[in-house]
Amino acid sequence: MIKILYFGRLRESAGRRAETIALPEGVTTISALKHWLNTAHELDGALDDPSVKTMINQALVYADIPLSGDEEIGFLPPVGGG
Amino acid sequence: MIKIIDTPFNPVIELEAFTKANSDAGAITSFLGQVRGEAGSVHELYLEQYPGVTKAGIQDAVTKANARWTLTGVMVIHRTGAMGVGEPIVLVATAAIHRRDAFLSCDYLMDYLKTEAVFWKRQTGAHGNKWIEPRAEDYKDSDRWDTL
Repeated sequence: MIKILYFGRLRESAGRRAETIALPEGVTTISALKHWLNTAHELDGALDDPSVKTMINQALVYADIPLSGDEEIGFLPPVGGG
Repeated sequence: MIKIIDTPFNPVIELEAFTKANSDAGAITSFLGQVRGEAGSVHELYLEQYPGVTKAGIQDAVTKANARWTLTGVMVIHRTGAMGVGEPIVLVATAAIHRRDAFLSCDYLMDYLKTEAVFWKRQTGAHGNKWIEPRAEDYKDSDRWDTL
């Protein structure tokens, strides 16, 4: 199962802090998952915004890497500092 | 010592404990950040962290501070959750043999915390809710360590 975490304003847009899902059929990479989530939660493409960083298992990723279906994925809007 | 907590803390008690633990230090610098009321327009500040990631980032900044200055101790306490006006948000304290290392390292750590630390910050006030991002001045303050 994939654990997905939404932070800051994305948490409000997605209407949830976290969710655990099975990799949807036909979704094999992080960019495909973002596309799927953008549609499923009506995010208007927010996850594709260049200011939103993606972490897989708490490490930043920039490439469209394959998913095994057993990751923790975090979507991080720009940080606000402390 | 790094603590990220979602309940209020007493900076006086924390600083007293830090001071006792660093009794060999000749100098201790501390910084306390608290929620600004903005002349009554702000009612609440809410901070969110990414457990694991936020603390690892602060730990990295503390490691860099220890590499750059000679320190005998570092303490970072950071709140998350909802805070009212005047409540402590962050307490940073650095201990060193001499004052310059304590001053500079405390300033450096606060610049990291204000710009790069993994926190999301929402202000609630007279004008509703607003997610806050670092100001241009905060980035300028943080960048100066590259040339100092």
